[in-house]
Amino acid sequence: MSLARYFNKVRRIGLKEYFRQMMYIGDVKVGRCVGSDQFGNRYFENMNPEEEVPGRHRWVDFAQHDFNATQVPAEWHAWISHIRKDPPPEDRVMQNLSPSWKAPWIENLTGTRGAYRPYNTTLPKYDTWEPKVASREGPSA
Amino acid sequence: MSFVRAYMAAGPSVRAAAMRMATRPNSALLAHRLLSTTAPRSNKADDPFLSEAAKAQGGVIPPMNVRSPAGTALYSAKDEPGKDIDPYKDGPSAIDKAVQIFFLTEILRGMWIVLEQFFRPPYTIMYPFEKGPLSPRFRGEHALRRYPSGEERCIACKLCEAICPAQAITIESEARMDGSRRTTRYDIDMTKCIYCGFCQEACPVDAIVETQNQEYSTETREELLYNKEKLLANGDRAEAEIAANLHADHVYR
Repeated sequence: MSLARYFNKVRRIGLKEYFRQMMYIGDVKVGRCVGSDQFGNRYFENMNPEEEVPGRHRWVDFAQHDFNATQVPAEWHAWISHIRKDPPPEDRVMQNLSPSWKAPWIENLTGTRGAYRPYNTTLPKYDTWEPKVASREGPSA
Repeated sequence: MSFVRAYMAAGPSVRAAAMRMATRPNSALLAHRLLSTTAPRSNKADDPFLSEAAKAQGGVIPPMNVRSPAGTALYSAKDEPGKDIDPYKDGPSAIDKAVQIFFLTEILRGMWIVLEQFFRPPYTIMYPFEKGPLSPRFRGEHALRRYPSGEERCIACKLCEAICPAQAITIESEARMDGSRRTTRYDIDMTKCIYCGFCQEACPVDAIVETQNQEYSTETREELLYNKEKLLANGDRAEAEIAANLHADHVYR
């Protein structure tokens, strides 16, 4: 039954991790840690249908207390959204297609001072009038 | 009466035409259609549809023999299938049904299923930690891509601007210092965009793509007016995912 499975999972992950999971995910989950990203978020997977409901078999343990769905970088987003089968450390295709100029992931900064503000990327089509006064000739008054 | 008169006037010639085309299965239908659409013919001598034999008989044709094929339309009520089966013979008896009604057994069975679900793990996906499945073709936030050398792909052909049904894209272009044409303005109004994906289909160099990022909600409306720098930054961050998705999908295109 589920109660036995619940306590079995608590025994496997330990009381400290159990407390952390109840604080954040709100459910007891046991799985294989498949890697971590630039923020220190840890990603887990459990493909055993006896232990995890299919569809809930991939999850992330956020490093920050103020967690946010956009703190998952693009590569891990592809994995946790079940777009890619293998996690990025094992995905040869994604590793080969990663360019050298790849920028680090930034979470959605809306509502903060780092939020994106649109600006014009072209020169203005017209300038304001700047009156120029020619110097007067002749005897100064 | 007028219909009868028209039939008498047009009938023989039309029936002659129908008999000439008797090999066709829908000759009767054709005759009816001609009846309703053609004017009555009066001069039988120069009727092109009338055969010589019919003209010799004065335009009178013996009536066609219309009968159903043998063996059809012979069923009666006693031939209806399933008449000899008693559907209540093997079912529950009246006492059984009365017991199930009075002791609420169906209610109890439904409540037992609810009780079983109570002890099963929930199917609810805990969203920020677990995410639902997406397609490699998912159309989310836009991004401008670069070549592996770091050169931006967009050549300012403005095909995406032309095909955009919502007219959300604005492009201005100039020649760069090295003579290549590049965009100076690539604005996408994400509040106008309907996420149809026509821009990435129209793009000849795979520059504008829609990434799988759907988590870009903003607090203000102006943050959704993306300019070129924002789109290029999106592409720089998500290039590995975009390229992997295109690689996964290229065999189907």
